[in-house]
Formats: sequence, C-alpha cells, structure tokens
Amino acid sequence: MAVLSRTDDSLLGRWFYSVDRWTLGAIGTLIGCGYVLMLAASPAVAERIGATREMFILKQVVFLALAAVIVVSVSMLSPRDIKRLAIAGCLIALAMTAATMVIGMEIKGARRWISLPGMSVQPSEFLKPCFAVTAAWLLSEGKKSPRFPGMILACCVCALILGLLKAQPDIGMLAVVTVVFLAQLYIAGLPLTLVAIGMGLIAGAAVLAYTFMPHVHKRFDGYWKGEGDHYQIDRALEAFGNGGFMGRGAGEGHVKDILPDAHADFVFAVAGEEFGMVICVFILFLFAFIVLRGLLKLLKEQDLFIVLSCTGLVTGFGLQAFVNMASTLGLIPTKGMTLPFISYGGSSVVAVALGMGMLLALTRRRGREEPA
Amino acid sequence: MSNPNDPGLPPNDPPPNGGPRNGGRYGKPAYRTGAARSDAVPMMEYSRVTEADLKGRAVMEKAGLRLVVAAGGFSALFGAVLIRLAMVTIVSPATPHRIDRPVAEIVAAAPHTPVDSTLPGQRAMITDRNGQPMAISLNTVSLFADPAMIGDADDTARQLKQILPRLDLEDTADRLKRTKRFIYLAREITPREELAINNLGIPGIDFRPTQHRQYPLGRTAAQVLGGVNVEETGFAGVEKSFDERLRTNTDPLRLSIDLQVQAAVREELVTAMTTFEAIGGCGIVMDVHTGEVLAMVSLPDYDANTVRSSPGDDRLNRAVGATYEPGSTFKLQTASMALDSGVAHIWDQFDASHNISIGRFTISDFEGKHRWLYLPEVLAYSSNLGAAHIAQAMGSERQRAWLKGMGMFERTGIELPESARPQVQPAANWKEIVTLTVGFGHGISVTPLHVVRGTAAVANGGILLRPTILALEPGEQPEGVRVMQPSTSDIMRRLMRLVVTDGFGKTAEVAGYYPGGKTGTAEKVAAHGGYKKHTNVAAFMSVFPMNAPRYAVYMMLDEPHATKATFGYATAGWVIAPAAGKVIARIGPMLGMLPDIKDVVAINQSLAIPLQPGRPPGAPARGPGGATIEAAAKVATAPATPASPPRPNLTVPAIMLPPAMSRPSPNIRRETNQQTPMPPGSGTVRVLAVSAASSNAAR
Repeated sequence: MAVLSRTDDSLLGRWFYSVDRWTLGAIGTLIGCGYVLMLAASPAVAERIGATREMFILKQVVFLALAAVIVVSVSMLSPRDIKRLAIAGCLIALAMTAATMVIGMEIKGARRWISLPGMSVQPSEFLKPCFAVTAAWLLSEGKKSPRFPGMILACCVCALILGLLKAQPDIGMLAVVTVVFLAQLYIAGLPLTLVAIGMGLIAGAAVLAYTFMPHVHKRFDGYWKGEGDHYQIDRALEAFGNGGFMGRGAGEGHVKDILPDAHADFVFAVAGEEFGMVICVFILFLFAFIVLRGLLKLLKEQDLFIVLSCTGLVTGFGLQAFVNMASTLGLIPTKGMTLPFISYGGSSVVAVALGMGMLLALTRRRGREEPA
Repeated sequence: MSNPNDPGLPPNDPPPNGGPRNGGRYGKPAYRTGAARSDAVPMMEYSRVTEADLKGRAVMEKAGLRLVVAAGGFSALFGAVLIRLAMVTIVSPATPHRIDRPVAEIVAAAPHTPVDSTLPGQRAMITDRNGQPMAISLNTVSLFADPAMIGDADDTARQLKQILPRLDLEDTADRLKRTKRFIYLAREITPREELAINNLGIPGIDFRPTQHRQYPLGRTAAQVLGGVNVEETGFAGVEKSFDERLRTNTDPLRLSIDLQVQAAVREELVTAMTTFEAIGGCGIVMDVHTGEVLAMVSLPDYDANTVRSSPGDDRLNRAVGATYEPGSTFKLQTASMALDSGVAHIWDQFDASHNISIGRFTISDFEGKHRWLYLPEVLAYSSNLGAAHIAQAMGSERQRAWLKGMGMFERTGIELPESARPQVQPAANWKEIVTLTVGFGHGISVTPLHVVRGTAAVANGGILLRPTILALEPGEQPEGVRVMQPSTSDIMRRLMRLVVTDGFGKTAEVAGYYPGGKTGTAEKVAAHGGYKKHTNVAAFMSVFPMNAPRYAVYMMLDEPHATKATFGYATAGWVIAPAAGKVIARIGPMLGMLPDIKDVVAINQSLAIPLQPGRPPGAPARGPGGATIEAAAKVATAPATPASPPRPNLTVPAIMLPPAMSRPSPNIRRETNQQTPMPPGSGTVRVLAVSAASSNAAR
C-alpha cells in the first residue's frame, strides 16, 4: 500500500495505519471465498427452485459488496461511536425481533423474518453483535462504578432476548447469544463457582429442551442414535468423501443438485466436494486466525469495555463458524446456522460484517488522546 | 469516566483504571503520537496507584488469563473440525451415492405397485405395459334440476350463472321451464362450485356423482385409447373393445404399449412428417415372438381428452383402420412363398431387362438394372419385374393360398374396433395381371398391421401370430400357426439384412442392431381408380436384430414430398428408412438391448448372403423355367434374345455399390390413366404397376 504514506494524516491514512490489517485481510479473503462458492453452489439451487441461474449470485454480489463497505466504514468509527451505534442497534433490533411475533413471515414453522420490499430481514442476526457490545458496556460500566447495576441490567436484557428467541423459536441463535454472554461474564471475572452454576444451567436447559421441544428431541435422537432423517448429513459427508484432498474441480460437484440448502447452510460441503480438503482447511484457518488473533491481541488491551466487547464479537463469530462447519461434518446435530461471509443470505452477511467492522474499530491502535 | 473517589486528579492524568493507554509499560518512557523521541516524557510522575486502580489491574489480569483459556477452547473446537475434516475427506471418505447399476435394474427393483386409485364402481384405469397410467377416471359431480320443483326459473338461472359463468343464461332458463322431471344443467362441477350452489339453497337443484375420463398423456396413443361418451361408455379404440371389462373389473387394464417406445416412434414420425410435408403417417413396433404391439402411432393425431370434438381424419388410426397398397414391402412375401415352396432358389435369376406388357398394362422397374437379376438382387434393388416373374412362377392358386395363410385376406384380429378388412380381388377376378402385380404389392390393399404381422412371421422362424394390444404375462407364449419352414425364414432374414447392407434400405442401418427390412413406395390409388401421379405412400418395414429377431418396426409416410436433401426423391429409402433407423437406435436401449459392436464381424458373417449367389452344380442356368416366363410375358422389346441374354459378368463388391437411389434414371416415368389402350409391343410408354385391381379398389 504505497499509496498511503506513513505520514498521511488524512482520515483514510490514519485508519489504514491504525487498523488491524491482518484481520482485515483475513476478512477480505473470506469475502472472496464467499463470491467463489456462491458461483459454484447457487446456480444449481436457483435452477431447482425455478429461478434464473444468476438470481442468488447477483443478490449475493450486492450483499458481499455491501458487507465490505460496512466492514471498512464501521471500522473507521471511534470506540465511543461504536458504543453508541451498538446500543442504538441493540434497541432497534430488539424492537424488530419483538415485531416478528406480530408481522413476521413464517418460514418452516418459525417466525424470524420481517418482509421488506425486495428482501426479507432477520433482525435477530443484528441483535447478536449489537448485544455483545451493549453487554460489554453494561458489564464494564458496572465494574467501574459500583452504583451502576451493570451486571443486573445486562442479565435482564439477555433474558429478554432469550425469551424472544425462544418464542420465535430460534434455538440456534439462542444458544449462540447465551454462550457469547456467558463468555463475556467469564472474561469479566465471574467467580468460578458461578461459572460452574452457569454451565449447570445450560445443561439443565438443554435437558429441558430435549424433553419438552419435540423437534429438538427428534433432531438430537436422529444424531445420537443414527436414526431419523440424516439424509442431508449423509449427502454432505458423501460430498466431502467425493471431493477428497484436491476436490473434483469447480462445477464438478453434485451435492448442490441434491441438497436444498447447498448455497446456505451446506455451502461448506459444496466447497469440500468441488475444491477439496485444501480449501476447507484454508477457510477453517481463516476463521481460526480471526478468532485466535482477536482473543490473544486482547491480552495487551487494558480497557475492560474493549476486552469484553471484542470477546463477545469474536466468540459469536467463531461459534457461528464452528457450529456450521461441525454440523455439516456431522460432528454435532444439524443446526441451521450460516457460515459467516460464505453462506448465502443478506441478513447474515450484513450482520456479520457489522460485527467485524466493530471488532476492527475497537482493536485499532489508539493514541492516548483517543479515549475508549 | 473519571474516578469519583479521586476528585483531585489533574486533568491530564490518565484514568487510573486503565493505566497507560499507549501500550507502554510502567517505568519506561511512553511517547506521544507524533512527538520526537527526544521529547519523550516519562509518565511515572502522573501515576498514582489507587485502590480502584489495583482492583482494575486485578480484573485485567484475570481477564487475560481467561482470554487464554477461551482461545484454548476455540483452538480445541477448530482442531476438532480439522480432524473431522481430514477423516471425512482423506482417511475414510464416504462412498458417494452413485448409480452403479443399469437403469433397467433400478426400475425393476423399484416398487412397482400400480396406482391403486380406482374405486369400486369406477371405470378401470388403462395403463401401459409398465403400469404407467394412460386413462384414469376421476370422480366429479354433475348438476341437475327437477324443473317441477323450480319456482322462478329465470331467477334460478341468474343465480346459477353467477356461480357457473359457463352457463348460457337463456338456455338454462328454458331448460328449467321444461316439463321433464330431470334435466342436466352442467357437468364436472368443482367442489367449490358445488358448495356455492348448495349455499344458494334452491329447491329442485341437486347433484349427482359422475365420472370424468382423463387421458393424462394427451396425444400419446390417442387413437389406440379411443374415448368414452358422456355416459362413460367407450365408443372407440380400447375403450370400446374392452368396455365391458373396464366397467365390471376395477383392476387396471394393462396394454402392450410401452409409453417410452410410443413416444420415441411418435417423435421420429413427426419429424419425418414435417420434413417431407406428408399428410399423414403411421408407425408400429411389434414383438415378433408374441405379437404384442409396443407402439402404434398414427398421425395426424389429437389430444385424447378432446376426442369427442376432434376431426375424423385425426381420429383415423392409420395403423389398423386404413388400407394401403403395401407396395414393395410385399416382395418379402413373394420371395418367401417362392423359396418355401421350392418354386425359386436363391441362385435363380429373373429377367429384369425388359418391361412386361400384359393387356393394356406395362410393368417396369424404378431404378432398373436392365439385366437379369439374381433373387437377392430382386429384393435389394426392389425390382418389380423380378417380383412379377417370381409371382408368375408361383401361379395365382399358390399365391392366394399363401397370402390367405398369412392372414392377408382377413382382419388382423387385434382387439381394436377400427381394425379394417383388407381389400382383395375375389378369386374369380384374380387374373394373371393380378398375380403379377400382387407380387410387388399392388392390386391388393391391406392395413399396415397386416404387413407387420406377415413380416414378423417371415422373420421369427415362420410362426404367424395374432397381434394383440394387451400385455401378456411374463413368459406367456401365445399360440401361433406355422406358415413356412424355419429354413426359409433363415434365408429371408439374410435377404432382409442384405436390403439394408447393400440395397435400397441402407439409410436405415444402425450400428450394433443389425436391422433388416424392405422399402416400399406405392403410388396412391385415386378416388376414381387409376394411380395418382406423384403421390405415394412410402413405408419401411424393418425387423431387428436380424441375427436374433426381436422387434418389427414399421414406419410409413402418406404423400411425402421430396426435398433438396433427398435429390428430389420421395421414395421410401430416402424419406422414411432413416426415421426407422433412428427409431431402432432409440428404442433398442429402452427395450433392454444394447448395441453389439464387439461381435460385428461374426454377426455380419452369419447374416451374409451374396447378391449373386453361386449356382450349385446341376441346377438350371436360369430362373425356374425362365423360358416359360419370357414366353408368357409379352416382352416389350421383341428382338431380345431369350436364349442367351448377356449374363452379368461383373460382380460389384457390396461396399462399392452406390448408395440407394443416388442416380436418377432418365427412363423411369410413370404415365397413368392412359386413355388409349397400349398396343402390345409398343415400348414407348411405360406404365408402372397399373393393375386391373386398382380400378376396382377405388375407395
């Protein structure tokens, strides 16, 4: 980047030298992979549902471009702006998630979507990064000023969100939000006894979900006992087997002709079949790089708000990637969750971009006079 | 964000909970951004450690430790994904779900329970041989009224019209005013309409459950299926011939039709018909060992669902319901009868050097060789003169007996009401000219199915079967009648193959399927006798594979027109034989036969027969009593020397023969409806195959 001099004092210049360029590069590479895999997977799916071959591609090109713009522009904000953005976003997303109960579209038995002209939005996707930052603010403020009931407020907001997600129902999202919040509590110094109690509660909730929610019950049984409907997983595993180390070659896979969600939840299988283990390991490496670098860089950070919010953002991002890849590989029960930047889906891509933009903004190198 | 417990903090102080924010460590100089190194100011003097400060540091220390734990957790998760990835891609990859069996096996293994949709009382379903539905009955509701109970007929009609816009307002009102106790108002009411009419609550309006016959495949095999009238009684096709069976037994009626084969035949026939602008066509595929008809196509066709309003010409089933002069395809019968009865031998020669004039008729050859032809050549080059000579040698008695045995004088017996009776000269009128012309398929009119049936018997070893439209049980072998010796059939198979390898049927060759056959181009008989100029019926009768015959394929075009690609010819070898070849290539795999390319040399060897076979020692030099024939036939050019005609001394290798009909012959012309009777011996005008029969055969 010779175009930007080290002494360039413009907004762009300062941004470029303060932003975490390694993470930015990894995000850009992921977006590139998203383009390529959308070209590979989506025409077959579009054809099957009777749309034109290019429909998903054209939409996703717009979404990914929008994502890149969001990542860069959000990362230019100051930590204080991020805080404001997240709180405002959290309130809006909360309101819209609540609104899905009333005006939401029902798809496959769940009300998660709000229909807008030209597209539909899943507001809970935006709730995830915004709540992570909001919770971090509440927790860090609570630590700073004992009179501010940050911990209690954060727990209340979290409970509200979990209630809404339960009502939709969106168990996958609920689990991610819960784990992210618990991770933040853990980093914020929750006593180990409480950590143990929290884990116990999760286990209890899981048992309750298994007992009282029929589709969770069925899903888990199907996974554990190898019975029920594991058609999608079997096809996905065959796709990986067919791909082998180097893959069949671009366009040579056929799992995309079979699986209904080949361009969304099962895009990792398409990658495995057409481009082989190599590209899968590469994608996995990119995610691991962003997550581990994000977490370890925080060791040098002294501001609790930044530590907590970055932890939340990175955990949510990494967890989502893990759940998608692991369930495509049959490592955990199938859970409808997108692979960040790779899977098709406007809400998902834009929301993930927002989260990554916030992460980059918060981890920028700051001078003394720029308070967190 | 300043600490409320520490009001005396200087404004420049760093917030105590954060420590130095520039990443500098305690005790070392920290730099202001942009400041020179010499301007470095140690920050020690500003730092005062407070209790909150210590608490903050403790929190951050703990956070750091726990961040490492979290990072470790993620490493474990991603590591698990990595290991799993390696497992499923490299270490033990799942076998891809692939079709590793032939499609035929998969189809056979798939549960083939026929759709059990027929309810008691419903008209039975008609399916193809594989259980695919071809005709099904749907329950619907008809609307009827009892006019005696209707109060205001006009108002009732208006109300009904609002729900059923298809009703005619005045007509309905008139009907409602009649004095009958039962009138139909509308048929095939939808449940929604039924509910709406019911909700009107008009007394005297009621519903009656009826059925509606549906033909889901539309034009496919429409003429074979026929149709039902409004009372659900069959009036044509299978619906008529099996009407009683379809009403009383709800088990599906399984036809011998194979829908895939039917579709392939129709497609090729439509293509040929469009290319050559024919007015009609027909195609038949029959199993030569069982008589089952696998495909029966007649064009033009119509949507079976609109059978009641379709034009009669479309509804004509040309395969069984129309008779045509079979033309040269009949030469197979002539050759068979002569060989079987010992009248002619494969090495016999027949005079095709001179036209035959009998009475006022002259028989000539199309694309003639103008020399004596061996029997294989008569078929390969489709010589009318040769066939006439053979027929003459047979004599009318034996010829009639043979054709009767071949079922050419009766209906074929297929279970279709449209099946037509052939048009044959009565014995009293069967003069010599009839014998001669029937030898090459003129002066007799039969349905295409007659030709297929007769040729199947020629090819299958000599057993004549009754064609059937119903599927037989697997392994069921219908009774047949032996009509020729197996040895005759064996020679005929070779001769049919020869027509495709070396004769006029070359365009029907399909690698690996060894088809054999015979072309047939017959001029059409005009409405008031005589032959119509330049309007003919072009047919190709084929059987494949000739080494072990399985299926007979008959393709015919009615009044094809020549195109540039056929060099102006509208004869069978050009217009329909290629279509027959395409059908064979397509249906072979459907019927479980894969092309046999591997044994091509052996199979061709086993089917080979020379165009000019050598004469065994002691056999007469000419055809069977060649001299007699020549004496009887008034040879057009009198000064020919019958005693020593130039014997062909050049045997053209088969491979070097020109393609069928590639050379236009200048002296082949057809003059019909000759006003003045031709004096015997005048060779100036040639009349092709005008038979005495033709004038009587006016249809």
